[in-house]
Amino acid sequence: MLDRRTRDILLAARDGAARRGIRAAISLHRERSHLMRIGNSSVSLNTSENLTRLDITVLSGRREGTHTHLGEISSQSVVDGAIDLSARKAEVARPKDYEPLLPELQEAVAESGQYDSDLAAMDPGEKARVYSEVFGAAGPAFDFSGSWSSGVVELYLVSTANELEAWHIGTDQIFSVVMKHPERKWELQDEQTGWRSGAVRAEAAVEHLASLLPVYERGGAVRNEPGEYTVLLGASAIAELLGMAVWTGCGGRMYEEKLGWTSNNSLGDRILGDNISVVDDPEDPLTFNMGFDMGGMRRRRFTLIDSGRLAGLTYDRATAARYGRRQTGHETNSPGIVLSCGTGPADALEGARGHGGRMLFIPALHYMNLPNMSKGIVTGSSRFNAVLVEDGAVVAPIFSSRVTDTFSNIFGRISALSMKAVSVNGSNTYGRRAPVAMSVPAWAIAEGVKITDCAESF
Amino acid sequence: MEGMTQAREILTRNVERVRSAGAGYADARYFADDSSEVLVLYDGNLEANDTGFETGVGVRVLWGGAWGFAATSDLAAIDSCFDLAVRNAQTAAGLVKVPLRMGEMPAHKSYFQSPVGTDPVAVPLGDKLDLLAGIDARLKEDWILRRVVVANFTRRHQLFVNSDGTDVEKRLTNVFADMIVMALDGDSEMQRRSMSLYTTGGGTRGWEMMLDPELFSGHAERIKSELSELVKAEPLEYGRRSVILLPGQTFLQVHETIGHPLELDRILGYELSFAGGSFVTLDSIGRLRYGSEKLNVSSFGGIENSPGSFGFDDEGTPERDYLLIDRGVLVNVLSSRAMVNEANDRAGRRVLEQSGGAARATAFYRAPIDRMTNVNILPGADGSLEDIVASTADGIVVDNPTSWSIGSNREHFHFGCEIAWEVKDGRRTRVLRNPTYQGHTLEFYNSLTAVGDASTWRLMQVDNCGKGEPNQIMQLGHGVPVVRFDNVITGERG
Repeated sequence: MLDRRTRDILLAARDGAARRGIRAAISLHRERSHLMRIGNSSVSLNTSENLTRLDITVLSGRREGTHTHLGEISSQSVVDGAIDLSARKAEVARPKDYEPLLPELQEAVAESGQYDSDLAAMDPGEKARVYSEVFGAAGPAFDFSGSWSSGVVELYLVSTANELEAWHIGTDQIFSVVMKHPERKWELQDEQTGWRSGAVRAEAAVEHLASLLPVYERGGAVRNEPGEYTVLLGASAIAELLGMAVWTGCGGRMYEEKLGWTSNNSLGDRILGDNISVVDDPEDPLTFNMGFDMGGMRRRRFTLIDSGRLAGLTYDRATAARYGRRQTGHETNSPGIVLSCGTGPADALEGARGHGGRMLFIPALHYMNLPNMSKGIVTGSSRFNAVLVEDGAVVAPIFSSRVTDTFSNIFGRISALSMKAVSVNGSNTYGRRAPVAMSVPAWAIAEGVKITDCAESF
Repeated sequence: MEGMTQAREILTRNVERVRSAGAGYADARYFADDSSEVLVLYDGNLEANDTGFETGVGVRVLWGGAWGFAATSDLAAIDSCFDLAVRNAQTAAGLVKVPLRMGEMPAHKSYFQSPVGTDPVAVPLGDKLDLLAGIDARLKEDWILRRVVVANFTRRHQLFVNSDGTDVEKRLTNVFADMIVMALDGDSEMQRRSMSLYTTGGGTRGWEMMLDPELFSGHAERIKSELSELVKAEPLEYGRRSVILLPGQTFLQVHETIGHPLELDRILGYELSFAGGSFVTLDSIGRLRYGSEKLNVSSFGGIENSPGSFGFDDEGTPERDYLLIDRGVLVNVLSSRAMVNEANDRAGRRVLEQSGGAARATAFYRAPIDRMTNVNILPGADGSLEDIVASTADGIVVDNPTSWSIGSNREHFHFGCEIAWEVKDGRRTRVLRNPTYQGHTLEFYNSLTAVGDASTWRLMQVDNCGKGEPNQIMQLGHGVPVVRFDNVITGERG
């Protein structure tokens, strides 16, 4: 549970607000983050952040005011001051044309199931040691870059709606290393994730990079002409595409406001291929688990897409209030999106061999965006480790190739999915630390994917 | 902490302490007040009535050629924050291939304040809401499905000290605002038109900007009118044609394909694992033909009224005004002190004379990295928008981005825009929806055939530039005119 002093301050502030007739929610976000960045085979930045944020929401009828204070909670007066400021803002605010909802905890939560004290206390020297080992194994011929972020996030939520408290503490980390040839300019990447110390292993990175190296060392690369291709998507590419598809296709606000690509569909309509099933599972071990949301809802397994059919729309507190829907526990920065696996082998190249023929292996997509959200058109380009594959054998690297296609085409024509689920870390480090990971098959083969441009470089 | 005087004493004492202990360089930033306010009217409902306040200290230490950084929001723990930054730097120094050097820089004792008439954070909330509600009322029509009016005000009071003896106190104020209208077209696709608060580059940047109809609210009727045409328009068909970018689109083109690839840390490979690298190399400087003779690009940190103007950067370098691209040739880049020294060492010659004053951090808890200040295309001699349209045989005029996706080395790009106007034989003929265009950066800028004069130049504000790990959102500006590129791939293949 939250340290006693801070908890006592927050509970006293909550009770004080209630006595003054203020409807308020108080949430605390505390992070201890560490990041080591690598550039040119050196540590380019070694940084620690110790930050505490207090978020206050006050409702006055249909009026709302919110305030965030980033600074230490040194006394109850800090919290009272933030509540009073929010209350003053709520009084001046224009009333909404609907009844806003105050965060109200459904049940008490205290969770620390994904907290590892060893990772929380990890010495930055250990990160330097792992990177040194990777650099040493590859030799001095390459330039290495990368980053390794690890940290602790603690969340606490109470409101004047009831006496309940919700508390979460968890650890997370994401490691990446990029190996670049200084003259030929290709870039190979290894990425590892997890919430435990020991989840990142130098030997795994070395082995992965070494397995990719031979075809790149042969030299040359393929420039793909625009057209339709069979594409072997790696786990990162699947997660990047699926994350955007779910956000714009299964988000209640997107749907209600006719902004998303499913807005003309109804629940039960077929929107993707029948081998695509997606849930938000706050207990999936390959995601970062979050047992409650900031609206106070207990998060439970929630089906989004069932065998290609639209099965559920997510509603956060504000959207539920505005459109008269029930909250679904999705006022969170840490959903646990899970794409069901298939029956294909664990290894991507084995999967390609089983399929046969020529295909582009695109493990990850860079800088994706949505030129047409209504149609679900997405664009992004290949980056690390992308190669041409024939009958399961790697033939040559490919230059940076742009995919521009619809979600319904890409996920409507998946011909094979791996049986192996892997965790893809998509944590957001804009502002506050918010660990998020998806569980997706290790690979998927998509037929007829549109490649719309290709550079003459990696 | 009892104000700036005490902060100055604590920070200076600690900077001297770690310097004496062996640090090659140290700096610290104390944010006494980093306030923000976001107001969002969505279909008339006040969906965001949010304020934020941040205070804390960020400390950066160079030890053995490596950076250590630490930040804390606990103002009682500043001494230990310095100690942690030292330990982080010492750890980093154990794995350094190319030791970083900050070089010599004269000490500056200075104070900088954004030119502000009325502090936007201090304006009564009711007055702000009345203004936004008035704009919302002007946007309201039965056929318009969504209306959004957003205002974002920031006010920062910070102190910077470093081991060179520099001591700079800054008060920075920013005002951002947007309005958007949306409606469904005949295919049930949502179309939108928007308008962002811009500046002329002059004047003051307080609440008064919100009150100037030319800069913002006076465009409400125009975007409604354009949306009404957009929902009835045909989609743009695939093909090669000229593309005329209005400033509402030019700024992002410049941002993504000139600004980012010219950040020296990207060029040197320090952003490779996340944001990406750059097709530009050190050998490119002074040699690379980036664009046609008509392309002149500057980095000007001293524009009077812009979020990219801040007096001194976050390592104490004064603002600078210099050319990045001179008549199409790349001549300089966006840089900070250590990156310039490393570039010269690596190149084996003096490719860069001095820091570009572009080391910036988004908050006290982030370390400075190479950023844009104000990256601008200088006005040209090809007249007004009408003059450029009149000299175009087959093309489109586009405005405002809906989507942008850039190659990892900034070598290629794809943009979606809100609206296009078809141009045939020197005349605008009709509105087209769902416009997109794509290209390869060098080929694209070498197809620049027209640059509008000063009458077409606007300072476009950017409040959401993301870069770095941990990620940092930065505010900056782009002064840009109307520009035309020929033989560009537009639309999507069927």
